[in-house]
Amino acid sequence: MSAKLGVYLCTGCTIGESIDAAKLAKVAGSECHAAVCRTHEALCGDEGRKLIAADLAAGTVDTVVVAACSPRFKPEEFNFNHGTVVERVNLREHVAWCHKPQDEDTQMLAEDYLRMGVARALKTEAPKPLEAEVSKSVLVVGGGVTGITAAIEAAEAGYDVFLVEKDDHLGGRAAQLYKADGIQASVAAVLHHPRIQVFTAAQIGKIEGQPGMFDVTLDAAGGPQTVRAGAIVVATGWAPYDASRLAHLGYGSSPKVVTSVEFEQMAAKGAIQAKRVLFVQCAGSRDADHLPYCSSTCCMTTLAQTAYVHEADPEAEAYVIYKDMRTPGQYERVYRETQAHPLNFFTKGEVASVSPGADGRLAVTVNHTLLGETIVLHVDLVVLATGMVPNGMDQILNLTYRQGPELPVLQDGFPDSHFVCFPYETRRTGIYAAGAARAPMDGNQARQDAAGAAMKAIQSVELAARGRAVAPRAGDLSYPSFFLQRCTQCKRCTEECPFGALDEDAKGTPKPNLYRCRRCGICMGACPERIVSFHNYSVEMIASMIKAIEVPEEDEEKPRVLALLCENDAYPALDLAGIERRQYDPSVRVIPLRCLGSLNIVWIADALSRGIDGVILVGCKYGDDYQCHFTKGSELAQKRLENVKETLGRLQLEPERLQLTQLAINEWDKVPALFDDFVNRMRELGPNPYKGF
Amino acid sequence: MKDARTVEPDVELIASLMAAGGADLKKCMQCSNCTCVCSLSTPEDDFPRRQILHAQWGLKDRLLTDVSPWLCHYCGDCTEHCPRQANPGEAMMALRRYLTGQYDWTGLSLLMYRSEAWAIGVLLAVSLVVVLLFTVPANFGFGLLSQAGPAARATVMLDKFAPKEIVHIGDTLLASLLGVLLLTNAARMFRIATRDTHIPLGVYLRHLPGFVVQGVTQKRWRECDAGDSFKNWLRHLILVTGYATIFLLVVVFLPWFQVQDHSFHWNSLLGYYASAALLGASAWMIGDRMAQSGEMHRFSQPSDWMFPGLLFVTALTGVLLNVCRLLDQAMPTYVLYVVHLAVAVPMLVVEVPFGKWAHLLYRPLAIYIAAVKKSALQTQ
Repeated sequence: MSAKLGVYLCTGCTIGESIDAAKLAKVAGSECHAAVCRTHEALCGDEGRKLIAADLAAGTVDTVVVAACSPRFKPEEFNFNHGTVVERVNLREHVAWCHKPQDEDTQMLAEDYLRMGVARALKTEAPKPLEAEVSKSVLVVGGGVTGITAAIEAAEAGYDVFLVEKDDHLGGRAAQLYKADGIQASVAAVLHHPRIQVFTAAQIGKIEGQPGMFDVTLDAAGGPQTVRAGAIVVATGWAPYDASRLAHLGYGSSPKVVTSVEFEQMAAKGAIQAKRVLFVQCAGSRDADHLPYCSSTCCMTTLAQTAYVHEADPEAEAYVIYKDMRTPGQYERVYRETQAHPLNFFTKGEVASVSPGADGRLAVTVNHTLLGETIVLHVDLVVLATGMVPNGMDQILNLTYRQGPELPVLQDGFPDSHFVCFPYETRRTGIYAAGAARAPMDGNQARQDAAGAAMKAIQSVELAARGRAVAPRAGDLSYPSFFLQRCTQCKRCTEECPFGALDEDAKGTPKPNLYRCRRCGICMGACPERIVSFHNYSVEMIASMIKAIEVPEEDEEKPRVLALLCENDAYPALDLAGIERRQYDPSVRVIPLRCLGSLNIVWIADALSRGIDGVILVGCKYGDDYQCHFTKGSELAQKRLENVKETLGRLQLEPERLQLTQLAINEWDKVPALFDDFVNRMRELGPNPYKGF
Repeated sequence: MKDARTVEPDVELIASLMAAGGADLKKCMQCSNCTCVCSLSTPEDDFPRRQILHAQWGLKDRLLTDVSPWLCHYCGDCTEHCPRQANPGEAMMALRRYLTGQYDWTGLSLLMYRSEAWAIGVLLAVSLVVVLLFTVPANFGFGLLSQAGPAARATVMLDKFAPKEIVHIGDTLLASLLGVLLLTNAARMFRIATRDTHIPLGVYLRHLPGFVVQGVTQKRWRECDAGDSFKNWLRHLILVTGYATIFLLVVVFLPWFQVQDHSFHWNSLLGYYASAALLGASAWMIGDRMAQSGEMHRFSQPSDWMFPGLLFVTALTGVLLNVCRLLDQAMPTYVLYVVHLAVAVPMLVVEVPFGKWAHLLYRPLAIYIAAVKKSALQTQ
């Protein structure tokens, strides 16, 4: 069935003054064979929208191309009945606002964008949502303060909860504190909640399946049993950093050197007997040889524990040696109050050694003190304020995923997939980390964190029930389909999927789990056989857009550059440049990609063989502090590009014709110069010799 | 660790400093705002941050050898800029009180700073001695007066009550005693503060003129750029000229100054100046303390009231005594003479070697010690 194409040109927002709409309409008619082409001065207004709706209602049009502003604006205004394909051509931010008005090159750019938009529209099918039976229950792993709070939050919102705890009681570390903060009330609430089923002394044997249908096998007291959950909150908490690695601070060589966790237990037992207690802050934290990060809770723990020292003996002295006291917000009040005690002594410093001293005491040598010299303190007890190490990254979830049984972690061992934009998201869809397992935090923060993660879990099951994707493409109805007859079992897709969505059969054929999919298209970019495609995003679609670009003859001296932009940061950055009216070379043709990781190298071959002079890719920053929304898409694109550059040589093409640039959205002002420089370099290299072939 | 030093905080020292005005010093987090805003603090003497740290840690040896508290004139800028309300200005004041006690070898100073009862007891005891001196002996005071017959009761005849030769001997003795006490305390301060530094004789001599100039003018105070500092300096200078004048008149020139009858004497003009200066300046200081105007006067310990208070009463009784004398009211003159001395003498005994007044020597001496120490370190 051939599409009945309707092209609608908007001349508002200075588009009409910049380009010749009549000429553009001619392109729509003669070249694109549009059944209908209409021009209006404000398509997004009631009158403009009625124009489109009338054509759709009359049946003269079933595929709509709106040539107006950026697709990032007015999505609701141009959203007609479901099932109607609407393609947007960005004539405002990418043409009218950033190029010379009434100019031949600007007009050519607008016409190319129209051709590309039509090509895309014609390759787009309305997606059909996934429709499987979905469980909306939430599995919470860990019965500490985070897990308990997450369970209550989800249950109170109306979702059934399974709470799994490896110990035989709930409460976690909060219940072991000398002065517990009401955790027992929360434990009781969980135990009596009708929607919460608690499994104590239980472990997870394995988890099969995907969001909406996780089959969880629990090894509990009464033998193994299976429950079905829609989403999982990992609230496995933390463990103190292994103090046996802190021999330089005396741990292990004397029973009078303890960790703050051990000191807390001593306080609970009433076993503190010391005239002088010295606290070492950042013991094994913010230290390249140990934990590189700040655990954010140890300063407050120590401040509380100095009170235990005075409580046990009002004449006892407490010494605190810190790198920095970190007590943000209201916690500063606790610091002030603690500092004011006449028998508390604080100094910045670095503990150099802890060794046996006179009278059975410990001699603690401290360098770089505020006193301006190295000092020695003779004390009865040394407390090491050790940091937090996340629990639960090992033998906890036992996922039956092809990419491994546990949550992948970032550089510091935490499972968050994206610190900046997507807290709680891990690299396993439908599984959310919360509390100290996600990032170091105290009980108060953990309660809030638990609520956040519970909310993400609820979003996940609700979106799964509607057949839609979760963040960052939240609500997306599309999903990849695999034409497996042509699969060569190369396993690139199953290895490269950042979310472990693809399992494998024995031969290596991918077994997609579409509810785990985030719809980034990285599998599509990875596949050398091009068997992966979405209803509205495919290798063929982008290829046809590239083919729609008119490449002028060599003697016209008009270079053409293809720019493949990540939709998440680079494309909106270019929109911002347009909004700020920054001008750049009109030789560039922009195609947005879901993620640079969906780059299929065939597009590069297509572009260069058509005579396009260079291809620039702009994606998110990668590396340890990556900003890629799909964790490693831009990095994968860079690898693929390196492989292509090798083959370019054989085609007598300069590798400089390909470039990948990492860009964050706040660097939008760099885009015009980036494009200008690249086009100028292409001019210097001379035209692509394949022009006209 | 060759330079490592064992630190043993003196917990009692911390408590006594906190009691002597430094109640908030533990709140300091060593940001050094105080030292940065202070126009008198220097890289060599970076007060008050360092002194507060030493006080927080109870480092007695460090505090004892440090003269920096005397280099501070308490403008209060540090306290105003302190983000932790640690009140560094008052902590420095507490240190001056503490140091005064430490310099005094008799131990009386410490007793009087720690206990109001002791301070008042000593004052009253000395007062009593003065009163007894005028009442018990047969040939002095009221004893002498009763021998002189009715004429001396009808008209002012001071040589029939307190013959100036005897009074002169008495006040010379008192001045010598207090002078010796003050000087020995100052010598202790000097020895303690310089014990860790080798200072060549030449350096001492070179800075001696500066010592004299500072002692007379408090010139260094003028370097303080705080708003009130000129007013405070001028008021202080007036007060100093007042009591320097009266000191010279009473101790050195008493035979000229003490007029025997009710006649007016040109020598009295200087006495009038001194009385006006002392009355005015001390009343002004008391007023500021009562109004708590400025950081310097916001916090007052008993010792801060005692000094200007006694000074004011001394000057007032002196003026009243002179008025009665000029009006030829013989008996009131004699009584006021005793009252005047019963206030002035205890004040001098308590304040000069043991109390606040000692700073008249400690402060220029501290400036001198700081200067010679700096010089000595530079030549090394």
